[in-house]
Amino acid sequence: MVALALPASSAHAQSDTIDLAPAIVKGFVPEKFMSGLKIQRIDSATLIQYRFQNISELLALYTPIAFKNYGPGQLNTASFRGTSANHTAVLWNGLNINAPTLGQTDFSTIPVAGFDQLSVQYGSAASVVGTDAVGGSILLGSNAPAPGLHVSAGAHYERFNNYQGQVGARYGSVINEKWSWSGKTNAYDGRLNNDFPYAERRGYALLPSQSGQRGLVQDLFFQSKDDQEISAHVWLTRNRLVLTPEDLAGRELTLTEAYRTMLRYRIRTFTVRTAWVRDIIDYAKGDFSQPDHATTDRFSNRIEKDFNLGLTPGLANIHFKAGGEWIYYRTRVAGYDRPAITENRADLFLLTRWQASPRLVVSLNLRQAFITGYDPPFTPSLGAEYQLVQKENYRLSLKGSYARSYRAPTLNERHWKDLGNPDVRPENGWNKEAGIEYKYKPFANHSFNSSVTVYHNRVKDWTYWNPAMSYHVENLQQVLARGVEVQAGYQYHSAILGAGINGGYAFNKSSQERAYDAYSSDIIGKQLAFVPLQSGNVNAFVSYKSVRLTGQVLAVDKRYTTFDNSQYLDGYMLVNILAESTIKVQKVALRFQGQVFNVGNAFYLNVRNNAMPGRSFALSLTFSYDSQ
Amino acid sequence: MKMKRQLSSVVAAAFLSILAWSCNQSDPAPKGDYVQGVFVMNEGNFLQNNGGISYFTREQSTAEAEIFADANGSALGGGVQDYTAFEGTGIILIDNSAAGMDKVQFVNSNTFKTEGSIGAPDIENPREVVIANKKAYVTCWGTNPAYTFSTGYVAVIDLSTKKVIKKIDIAKGPENLIYSNGKIFVGTTTFSTGKTLTVISTTNDEVAKSIPLNGTVTPIGIDANGKLWVSAGISALKMSPDSYAVEATLPIGTDASKIPTNFTLSADLKSIFFVLTWYDASFAAHGNTYKFAITDSQVNVNTPFIKRNFTGLAVDPTQGLLYAGVTPSLAQAGYAVRYRADGSLVDSVKVGVSPTGFFFK
Repeated sequence: MVALALPASSAHAQSDTIDLAPAIVKGFVPEKFMSGLKIQRIDSATLIQYRFQNISELLALYTPIAFKNYGPGQLNTASFRGTSANHTAVLWNGLNINAPTLGQTDFSTIPVAGFDQLSVQYGSAASVVGTDAVGGSILLGSNAPAPGLHVSAGAHYERFNNYQGQVGARYGSVINEKWSWSGKTNAYDGRLNNDFPYAERRGYALLPSQSGQRGLVQDLFFQSKDDQEISAHVWLTRNRLVLTPEDLAGRELTLTEAYRTMLRYRIRTFTVRTAWVRDIIDYAKGDFSQPDHATTDRFSNRIEKDFNLGLTPGLANIHFKAGGEWIYYRTRVAGYDRPAITENRADLFLLTRWQASPRLVVSLNLRQAFITGYDPPFTPSLGAEYQLVQKENYRLSLKGSYARSYRAPTLNERHWKDLGNPDVRPENGWNKEAGIEYKYKPFANHSFNSSVTVYHNRVKDWTYWNPAMSYHVENLQQVLARGVEVQAGYQYHSAILGAGINGGYAFNKSSQERAYDAYSSDIIGKQLAFVPLQSGNVNAFVSYKSVRLTGQVLAVDKRYTTFDNSQYLDGYMLVNILAESTIKVQKVALRFQGQVFNVGNAFYLNVRNNAMPGRSFALSLTFSYDSQ
Repeated sequence: MKMKRQLSSVVAAAFLSILAWSCNQSDPAPKGDYVQGVFVMNEGNFLQNNGGISYFTREQSTAEAEIFADANGSALGGGVQDYTAFEGTGIILIDNSAAGMDKVQFVNSNTFKTEGSIGAPDIENPREVVIANKKAYVTCWGTNPAYTFSTGYVAVIDLSTKKVIKKIDIAKGPENLIYSNGKIFVGTTTFSTGKTLTVISTTNDEVAKSIPLNGTVTPIGIDANGKLWVSAGISALKMSPDSYAVEATLPIGTDASKIPTNFTLSADLKSIFFVLTWYDASFAAHGNTYKFAITDSQVNVNTPFIKRNFTGLAVDPTQGLLYAGVTPSLAQAGYAVRYRADGSLVDSVKVGVSPTGFFFK
């Protein structure tokens, strides 16, 4: 939570979005091998604003990712570039944390308080990330804190009797001449009571629900002057959702817990990482004493080594990263055909980044995955970035990527009693994309940037729970997703004043291509359910010293709810306003934030055909102390 | 061309029946967009709560997909389990995926404008409805915790006050029900182990008799000779509606994995249609539609009447056409397919998701 102590004006600099220098971040995910792909970093000011909310609320406003939401605090899955909930990889410090049973992440269980940095990588990146990275990847990371002591405590209250509290500390010091250490501890606990003052909106009921969310984050870093680093990471989450809590016979409990642990050691260019993740899902109806229980353990080990090969003097010509990953799964799920299932998976990869000329970077990445009893495809990718114009205040670059993707079938898809299909094939696809990026800084404190990206992503053997076969799992579909993303922004900042606006528009046509039964002619060529054809967002802010006012607009086109597009939910537009200020007295800071969500009281529906709540507001207060 | 000619004869027949109907009416004709026609009950996809009622006139071949939303601006908010109407009041049974959100929705049956609703705890998991003596009888599974089928009842609604005036407890998941001559006959769902036909007297709304039978009980109707037909397990039974004596037992094949469903009487009440459904190893539903006469001594399951599986089946008493519901999957619109009395196809009309029942007016 060190970011909370930053004076607002420095957080506003948002150097990562306006800096003209090529961004190469040393981190857990080898982003620099993703040449040709679009990567969006969410700036720290935005992460602070959403410190008390879930990641989906932030991503919906800042990216074109469409969310399929069952209601406030309920299941919320992502559709990235027109793909399904199984096609977005979520990486925590480089480790895929999608639940192996479901093969997806419920974003209502991922609070922004759980990580320090957030990047969104668009398009297939299976060669770098592995399975699930078909539509894109969401990269969550921990940062090593700066030396000193920083303590903070915050409280957040939202209309409908929803609240959350957080406490955290960051610390670090020098151990001896060679080693220094730092760490972070952060705990959060919140409750959504959803005490809506109305039972329905425009004739549509709001579903009563309550959820409690708590978590603990612990990071430790040991760094040496001879370029060694040891780090340990723990993230425990618990999300308890109860639907219709007043109805004791019919209430439904979904308890989602995750224990995520990781140990990492790096010496210069060699890295070893080991991780254990346990995912628990409990479900019960009426009587909560004997829930259906599902536990999955995942033991992951990874090694990687970087090499440099200089071909031309003066240029660090080819950079290689070679490595392997081995994961052991052990799962016990009440609904499976066998009481316990174990599985081994392994990956071998070779990533390259070739600075072919000062203007051209090319990445060729190769990955082969191995799964007990399955044959995932070999996944190569080729990406390039070319700097068409490379002036001090003006940069125009072209990007392109051609990549194969795959998705290993989930444990549910293979082992669910009767409906699972052990013979289901891994999905595979080819993603093509090209983009142009423009950055212009006419004066020292004004900057413009914009980008246009087009993509074409065809996924074969798309697995789905076939509704025509009582939801038996089959590889029937072939889906083509294609679209265009346009983004443009402007920023101004001086010592005391700041202003900025950023807008995004996405068009995505995602449709089923292959007939498989007599009535599939009603489906071919139709837009996939819950994938809006168009979406857009605008975020704007003005700031004066530490006072900042932000406006956000999200517009979502209508979403079809059936495969044949015979039914749909209407499009909607949400407007939010945020105001914040920080008062600093010596080493103590007090940060206030007020938010108004859905200012226009827009009416929209969720997947269950229930109304979403109208206008609401939230207040948060964070106290912090910084020794530096 | 042939199709067109058939259609025009259907149109002509409909016209004649309208004429006949008009001449019989002394009251001024009711006003509304849905005065006369076919109402299709669509169950929708369970978690999406997207059921509805589709409507078309007998001479149309395209349907209005969801008339409640068209009339009121908001959807029903659940799957439609049943619909019936009486003297201008329509009653829609709505099943929501979440507990406590089910309801009985009243509408003006000619305009489909809402006229109020009854929700939990009066109505929980409603299944089927009949109207008798200005009261609506609604079978409900109750809260049905863990699908134990121990909390079922028939809710009795007074149509003048639109309030539940009584709950009559019925075990094992009350499902289909029919009315005849002061009695309601109630069967149970195939999901439970119930094997009882319950008789309710509509004069005192008490259980008059519980009749044990051999298998899951579904009342079918009263035939041209005044006999009660019920299905019990894989047999069709002819019973006396007064003494409840079983007068004939007609086995429907010998394979208990093939479940007879969707029984419906013909317009002349002299034959019965039904669908025999089974699932293959890959969970695909298969089935055929059969017909037998009320005078038959056995059911021929070797020769289907129509070689197709349906999720709903009903005969229009006005024209005698057989209406069959086709559900390609729960994620796309279904069809209402019309057949003549000889089993030949008339046409098919796209309706809502999962059509399972029809109401004719």
